[in-house]
Amino acid sequence: MTKLKILPGAPNEIVMQREFNAPRRLVIQAMTTPELIKRWMGGVRAEVVIAEHDLRVGGRYRHVFRLPDGHQFQFTGVYREVSDDRVVHTEKFDDNPAESVVTITLTEAHGKTTLHMVVAFDTKELRDMVFGTGMADGAGESYDKLDELLASL
Amino acid sequence: MTPARLDATFSALADPTRRAILARLARGDASVMELAEPFAMSQPAISKHLKVLERAGLISRGRDAQRRPCRIEATPLHDANVWLESYRELWEASFDALDDVLEDLKRQDRHKAKRKQEKP
Repeated sequence: MTKLKILPGAPNEIVMQREFNAPRRLVIQAMTTPELIKRWMGGVRAEVVIAEHDLRVGGRYRHVFRLPDGHQFQFTGVYREVSDDRVVHTEKFDDNPAESVVTITLTEAHGKTTLHMVVAFDTKELRDMVFGTGMADGAGESYDKLDELLASL
Repeated sequence: MTPARLDATFSALADPTRRAILARLARGDASVMELAEPFAMSQPAISKHLKVLERAGLISRGRDAQRRPCRIEATPLHDANVWLESYRELWEASFDALDDVLEDLKRQDRHKAKRKQEKP
């Protein structure tokens, strides 16, 4: 059973919520320290080979992932808003010119932290993703969530 | 499936009535008349929405001249969702691994606190 909750959003958005059994201070530390990022980002699906951060408004970040088959891809972006409970940044996939906007809020209660993340995709970006990369291929074979999607509309 | 059609998919989905029509068609084919009823809309208004959905490749219309039943087409939604799904899966795997890192950080914190206590 997964702990990740998918909440309703606009058709071009993914809204995710996840609770962590740790205070916000530690979640921020794990999410912003390059050595720690390399230990968790990508999980069992991909390895992070480069993690660069300049965590301030206007600062850039870059995450380079490597898949088990050796294929590499990267997410890059610029921070628009940075505070203890809210970070807003842009996100580009590889050299795709279109950007999505990611809004992360962290709320702490009783020593646990709830992460709420909204990813607003540019529809042009989605189009380029689907046609311009092989990333979707692997997941596509086993993916059939149309009923679920329609039920959630 | 062409790139232009995926754009059409998302603009077609932006309208709540069209999403409701798709949700209804996911349960089975329906004629314009059958669709118009629950939405309290005129048949021409529904027909307009159906045209947008048809252009986006989200539905097809039957050949029966009288009824022309509408049927949902899965492919465009599927293509758009495959990418969203793999993106979501990447984060899901990441967050599961983050749990372990956080447990380590908590242990280190407790260890530090204990050492502070031991040193007078």
